Amino acid sequence: MTEKAVTMIPEIELDRVSMQYPSAHSDVLALQEVSLNIAKGEFVALLGPSGCGKTTLLRIMADLIQPTSGGIKVAGKSAKEARLAQKYGIVFQNPVLYDWRKVRHNITLPLELMGVKKAGRYRKAEELLELVGLAKFADKYPWQLSGGMQQRVAIARALAMEPEILLMDEPFSALDEFTRERLNEELLSIWSKVGNTVVFVTHSIQEAVFLSDRVFILSPHPGRLSAVAEIPLPRPRTREMRNGEVFFRLIAQIRDRFEGV
Amino acid sequence: MNGFGNLLRLRFLPAAVWGLALLAIWEAGSWFLLKVLQVRMAQSKLPYIHEVVSAFGRYGSTLLKEGWVTLANAGLGLLLGATAGTLLAVLMSASQWMERLAFPYAVASQMVPILGLAPIVYGIVRDDQWARIIIAGYITFFPVALNMLRGLRSAHPSALELMRSYAAKPWSVYWKLRFPASLPGLFGGLKIAAPLAVTGAILVELMGARNGVGVIMLRNLYYGPSHVYMFWSTVVAGALLGVLSYLTMSVLERLAAPWQPEFRTKGGDR
Repeated sequence: MTEKAVTMIPEIELDRVSMQYPSAHSDVLALQEVSLNIAKGEFVALLGPSGCGKTTLLRIMADLIQPTSGGIKVAGKSAKEARLAQKYGIVFQNPVLYDWRKVRHNITLPLELMGVKKAGRYRKAEELLELVGLAKFADKYPWQLSGGMQQRVAIARALAMEPEILLMDEPFSALDEFTRERLNEELLSIWSKVGNTVVFVTHSIQEAVFLSDRVFILSPHPGRLSAVAEIPLPRPRTREMRNGEVFFRLIAQIRDRFEGV
Repeated sequence: MNGFGNLLRLRFLPAAVWGLALLAIWEAGSWFLLKVLQVRMAQSKLPYIHEVVSAFGRYGSTLLKEGWVTLANAGLGLLLGATAGTLLAVLMSASQWMERLAFPYAVASQMVPILGLAPIVYGIVRDDQWARIIIAGYITFFPVALNMLRGLRSAHPSALELMRSYAAKPWSVYWKLRFPASLPGLFGGLKIAAPLAVTGAILVELMGARNGVGVIMLRNLYYGPSHVYMFWSTVVAGALLGVLSYLTMSVLERLAAPWQPEFRTKGGDR
């Protein structure tokens, strides 16, 4: 009984989180009382149209902004403590690579900040470049890589400090459909090896269904959590599943949710 | 295909043609003033280029010696001014309070006429060497500070958030993000400042110094029409010092920040 209670302690816990932005006419309510739990090692998606506050929610989890009201706990501590303990790896919509650093040194950046020795940093970068399939590009500059490759570097960088929580803010939305689907598969294969908790923001229903254990569906004006969809697709997820009946049914169900909004 | 040949043809050929055309027009104009219009002191107004060039040759060792003195003083002044400007920019970027305090004075400092300031500085330090260095530094610190500040602020918000997510210390944020991001701005400032430093040094020399391009410029002006080609050669020498200082900054920029978009040779390498 007690043991079960312990294992059920969530990794990320939001309790009636609201976010209000002051504006000229009236305050904009970006998020209204969002409560949700994310388990350790779970892959969840925050799905919704523009203006539903999904990015705001991710930024609150990352302690990049503070909510107007409500509580957030990460592994039992505050989001700030989790950030200071370097529990987060973040991948933004743009790769945000530093132009003056070669690919290898972009990946070692967080390790430098953590004070990891040079040999250790290089070994880790080598390993991660292998993982994201860019071993041959270690000594290129970011601008010498395609958009998809740059985003893979950003993922490798986010994984460098072995974060317990990977926060991804529409990481593939700037990429073409083919690249995006391939990177979805790569991301899952990486996650199956690393096993950390992933929160993935997207406005693509297919992407959310293909990747996640659970999809948090947000609706706009004001941004709020309108439903949670369990994705019963088995793992590992394969390309064939994209053409399966279950996949389409799940997508249709989620789309229906939005039409009701 | 033939990259170097193309570069030669596309960049240097037009420049050479333009240069030669300009020289020809100059020579023709000079001849016209002297022989056709018979203007008084025609050669002081528009001297024959070939005479200036030959004066440059005859006068070469002196120009080199005095030019070096001017350049060295301007360089020291630039170093001083750029260091002060960089420090000021860092302070202003770190605190809004500091910016509000210092910025109006930095702007006001540029309103003071250098021509009036130079004798005051000389009166205080009583040394022509130091007066040159201080004036050169004085007119260079502002463009450096302004451009460096812009550079420090040019770091992308997401790049700063990335640092925040790593819980990076303020010092690390400067060292690993703000400083590298500021290099294009810093060099933009230095490329404006370097020729200004040369101008500043020559200005002080014109008002009285023991050596330097400005001194021989003034001396040749006093001697009058007989030294007109010598005078013009000192003016050319001053201009060349300015160009040299600019090119030096450009080369340093290439070495320090080769990753900038304008230096990328193969943009489409995907």
